[in-house]
This record gives sequence, structure tokens and C-alpha cells, in this order.
Amino acid sequence: MSTALGVVMMFGGALGAYAQDKTEITFSYLWGGAEGAALEQIIADFNASQDKIVVKGVSSPDMTKQLASMSSAKGAFDISDNFASNIASWSNQGILLPLDEFGIDTSDFPESVMKQLVVDGVLYSLPIATHNFQLVYNKKLLDEAGVTPPTTTAELAEAIKKLTKVDAEGNVTQLGLGLTDISAGMKTLGYAFGGDWNRDGKPTPTDANFVKGVQFYYDNVVAPVTPAAYNKFVAGFGPYMSDQDSFKQGKIAMVFEGEWRAKFNTEAGMDWGVVPVPGETPELLGSTWVDVSTMFIPTNTGNKEAAGEFLKYIVSPPVMEKFSHVLANLPGRISLASSAAYDDLPNFKVWLDAMNSPNTHGLPPALYMAEYNADLASAFDSVLQGAQTAEAALQAVADRTGSYSQ
Amino acid sequence: MSEARSRNSEPTGRALLKGLAFASPFIIGFLVLYAWPILASGYYSLTDFSLFKAPKWVGLANYERMISDAKFWKSLYNTLFFTFVGVPVDIAISIAGAHILNQKLKGQPLWRALVYLPSIVPAVAAGFLWRWLLNAQYGFVNEILRWFRIPQPNWLLDASWGGISVIVLMLWTVGGTMLIYLAALKNVPQELYEAAELDGAGPLRRFWHITWPMISPVTLFQVIVLMIAFLQVFTQPFVLSKDPGLGTQTATGPGDSMLSYSIYLFQNGFTFLKMGYASAMAWVLLFVTLAITLLILWSAKKWVFYDNR
Repeated sequence: MSTALGVVMMFGGALGAYAQDKTEITFSYLWGGAEGAALEQIIADFNASQDKIVVKGVSSPDMTKQLASMSSAKGAFDISDNFASNIASWSNQGILLPLDEFGIDTSDFPESVMKQLVVDGVLYSLPIATHNFQLVYNKKLLDEAGVTPPTTTAELAEAIKKLTKVDAEGNVTQLGLGLTDISAGMKTLGYAFGGDWNRDGKPTPTDANFVKGVQFYYDNVVAPVTPAAYNKFVAGFGPYMSDQDSFKQGKIAMVFEGEWRAKFNTEAGMDWGVVPVPGETPELLGSTWVDVSTMFIPTNTGNKEAAGEFLKYIVSPPVMEKFSHVLANLPGRISLASSAAYDDLPNFKVWLDAMNSPNTHGLPPALYMAEYNADLASAFDSVLQGAQTAEAALQAVADRTGSYSQ
Repeated sequence: MSEARSRNSEPTGRALLKGLAFASPFIIGFLVLYAWPILASGYYSLTDFSLFKAPKWVGLANYERMISDAKFWKSLYNTLFFTFVGVPVDIAISIAGAHILNQKLKGQPLWRALVYLPSIVPAVAAGFLWRWLLNAQYGFVNEILRWFRIPQPNWLLDASWGGISVIVLMLWTVGGTMLIYLAALKNVPQELYEAAELDGAGPLRRFWHITWPMISPVTLFQVIVLMIAFLQVFTQPFVLSKDPGLGTQTATGPGDSMLSYSIYLFQNGFTFLKMGYASAMAWVLLFVTLAITLLILWSAKKWVFYDNR
């Protein structure tokens, strides 16, 4: 018994000494499930390649907790992830460590992405994955209705008409164009009409073409079936990307979706396709916007050199490729857009091609983004309720922008 | 006897110190965890503060901003709606339920336990349960309404029903209040009812002239406690308004009908990083709560009966 105890103590002591030789850093990530498992594999690979740094991964999907941790003198993590929309606000608060000192070559990151990560000439974050939105459709439903995938908004309107079904009692049984994320869908429609909701770093909710895009959805999807019937139908949508997912269930025929859908739709055994977002004019075909999953180091880290090393590793081409492939996310590097690694993801090319398209818009960093997004969400909801026209609802947002942080 | 005398004759200052030492865990906890944050929030309410940067003095600007903030008024309106509709309904159901529980029924302890059961279910779990119950397409509530050919509202996605849904979820825990009323009913002297019956008073007159005045002190307490709970409501609308099908995370519900005061305060503090404005909102809520409480206490002179008068 005492011998066994002695062996265990010696083993424990050896492990302790091994750990003490290395700098331990904590990587807190918002992902969980399959994404979290992919990250843990990347962390394990990094640790195996290292004799100076050891990374401890922690899945923590609570953004408020993440923020609270950065408010203290010594934080709970040394590196973490978030979205580009928070970069301006957080850098302004002084909680993001400038990354310029790490000497990272940023020439391979798309301009639309870098535009979101550099604030006042200082780099605060790096992309681990990017996302854009295209028109995903259910092939079976389109074939049954004799509809070819639309390329213009006029064709889109026509397709919606043919693909929307209402029963004898006025209940919607199928929507031609649905929204699995109201804000993302409405913003995409705004770009399809040549609009922009955030031009030159200023909120532009009343941009005439953006208003046109939002009104398009109401006029072509909601109004024909009535707002009450529309919202009753939508109330029956199950959780996103689950077995009860509205697109998987065939409740919606077309939807503006990000590239992550490629993996889900295929694994769900769906017969599906994707085309660039239809434009109001041929020049606007494929108009979309890019959102970025970013990696950052908080100012209150006690191990910035080690965190910087891991940051460089995780955004390096082979690691980024591996990570984005597992998640079916777009990479954040131009050189990876043509990588053969993504060939096994059906229809992925449509999203990959959009990475370098001039019609793919990046959002300039803005301090007010969280508040603006909340107000836009309220405005979109008001339109879907039939309570206000797009113009009136977005004018109400414009009236509030004066109180935003600038 | 002599030991007791020596204890009583202990110098006052020393006794005070001993008392304070014994009470110090509470006193220190109160000062550090309650008094200091309350005073600090008062100061922050007069500053531009984001948690991360030093507060910048702005005087009454945060309070002035509320006047022109449409969402502030919307959240205040919603919260007062929840309170002024929810509290009377909660009281009415509780009193009615307590009367039923007060009957000599078989298995009475079981019924009492059952009505209290929802109160021990965590609010988040109850919220997710009610999201399904209130689902306009597949929900059990609308299924029952369909049996009786009553129109079925779109509880969670219709702006005119969003607030009602929050109240329904709040009423889910009415059992706690019901049991307190049950205890109050048991304290009403039976001879009062017997005398009233001899005088020919019916059930309604007996309730109005005996039960209601005799349980009025409990009602006063319940009204104040429930009013404070409704004014601070956060979890119920927050859970109800999260819609996984739509991917929205606005926590404000259709037409902002579920935007409670506490949710808007939380958004300002932790999402928009406007902690100064959130602190000012907290003080306004305190004064609104205080004003309504004082109004209730003032009105209590007219409707609360204390039998020791």
C-alpha cells in the first residue's frame, strides 16, 4: 500500500515539475459541441509541438462572463474569441491588446475582413473564420413548383409567389422565402437592392435602398399571407439546425444562409442548392456581407508573449484550414479560398467565391454596433408584425442613433 | 442568581463591543455587498461609465436622456402593465385557491403540495416549459382553447399577447401566495362566520365583511412583495422572448412587448456598456418602487383591518 502511494506521489511530482517548466495559458472559447471538440484537437496539436507553452482550453459560451472577466486586473483567460462587431467597442474600452507588436503578416487576410479588425490604424484581432450569406434553396420544392433559382430580385419575388402555400383555412403551410435569422436576412436583402445599413462607419438605417430591401420582404412574403398567418406559421419553427429546423422540415423553400449550412444540409440528407444572392440589377448579383469570428488577447493577460505565440499558430494557414473545414466555416485567408480541402463540402464554392467579390461588404468598426443591432432587430420585428412600414420602423431607429456611443 | 447579576452589570461599552463583534459578519457583509454598491451606483448614475474606464462626471445627463429614450418608456410601460395586471390577478387566484384548499377535502396535504410544486421549479426551466405550452402551432394551451372553440392567440409572436404571456408565466408560481392565504384563512375566528350566518349573511357577504378584512394585513404584505417581484421581472420575459427557430436574441419579444425594465437595464449595462445609464435606471426603479409602496401603505389605512386596534 505504502509502495503504491509512493509511486503515485513520485509520478505526481514529476508531472508537477513538467508543468512548471512551461508557461500555461488559458484559451477560453465561446464554441461548444463539435466546434469545441475541433478546438481541443487543435490545442492538443499545439501542446504536442511545444516545450515552452501549454494551452488549457475552456469552453465558456457566456459572453457577459467573458466581458466581466476582462474588467478585473487579472483575467480568467489569456486568449479568446468573439465577433468583429464588438472589436471597436472593446478596443475603445482598452480591454483588447494591440496585436501589431507580434509582427503578424496580414496581407493574406481579405480587405473586407481587415476593415473590421483594425481600429484607428491599430490591429486588435485576427480572423479564425469568416462567414457570408447566400441564397440556399430546397431543390425538391423548387423542382415541384417548376422554379429555377432566381438571379434577380424580380425573379426572387416571382419564385416566392410560386413557392408559398396556404391551405383552405388561410394557414400557411410553406413559405417561399424564410428567415432563420431575421437580422442577417434583412441586412442581406438591403445589400441586394444596393443599400447599406452602416455606410462609412455611420448608421444609415434610412438608406433608401436598405429600406427597399426590408419592405421587399414584407410586400412579397408577409403581406400576401397576412402578418397574423405569417407569424402563426413561424411560431411552429423548431430550433435552428435541429431535426425540427424549418428549412430541413421543408417549411421554407429558400433562405439566406451562411456557409455552415453546407455541412448541416448534407448531413441531414437534404437535396439542396445555393446561388449568389439575387440582385436588383445584374451588377448587384451576389451582394452580401461578411461577418468574422475573431481571436483576441485581453489587456489583462499575464502571459501576452505566450498568448501571441498561440494566436499566430491558430490563425496560421494549415490550422485555420483544418478548423474552418471541420466547422464548414469560411477561412479568413485569401490563399485558402482556393484550397482543395473544402472540395468535399457540397456547394461550398459559392460562399468561397464570394470571399473576394467586390459585392461582399465588410462592416467598418463602430462603437455603437450592439445598440444599433438591438434597435434594428426591433424595427425588423415591427415590420414583420405589420405594425409599421419599413420606412417608419427604420426612421424610428434613425431617431435613436443620436444617443449611440460615437 | 449572582452570575446573572454580574452579566447584567457588565459595562455598557464592553457589551456593545461584544454585540458588534457577534453581529460583525452581517454588518461587514451588508456594508461591502449592499451599502457600498448602492452608494457607488448612485455616483455612477451621474457619470459616463462603462465598467472598464474611469467614470466621467456628466451630472444629470443620464436622467435627462431617459426623457427622450423611447425604449426606456416602453420598458417602463410594459413593467407597469405586468405589475398592475399581474398583481391583482395573482391575489385573486390565490384567495380563490386558498378557499378551495381550506375545504375539508380528501388528500388535502397532497393538494397543498401540488399547488406549491411550480414554485420550486427554476424560473428558466419553467420558462422553457411554457414556451412549448404557449406555442401557437403545437402548444397545449391553444389545444385546450381549440376544444372549447375559443380563438387561439399567437402568444409569443403577437405583440398584443406578448405581455399577457409574461403574466401567465409569472402566475405559474401563484401556489406560494395561495399557501400564505390558506394560513391566513385558518386564523379567521370561526365564531365570526357562525354569528354572520345566524344574522342571515350569505357566502359573498361573509367573504366581504369577515374574510376580506381579517386577511387584509396578509393582502397588504402580499401586494407589496408581489409588486416588487413584478417590477423587477427579468427571467420570465428573457426566456420567453428567445426564439431558437428564428435565431433572434433580442430578448424583447414581438413589438418589444416583453421588454421589461430590468432587461433594458441589463442590456444597457452589459451589452451596450452604458453602466452609468443603467445605474440611473436602477435608481429610477428604486424610486418608482418606493413611490408605489408608499401609495399602497397610505391607502392601507382605508382597507387594512388590524384586530388589535
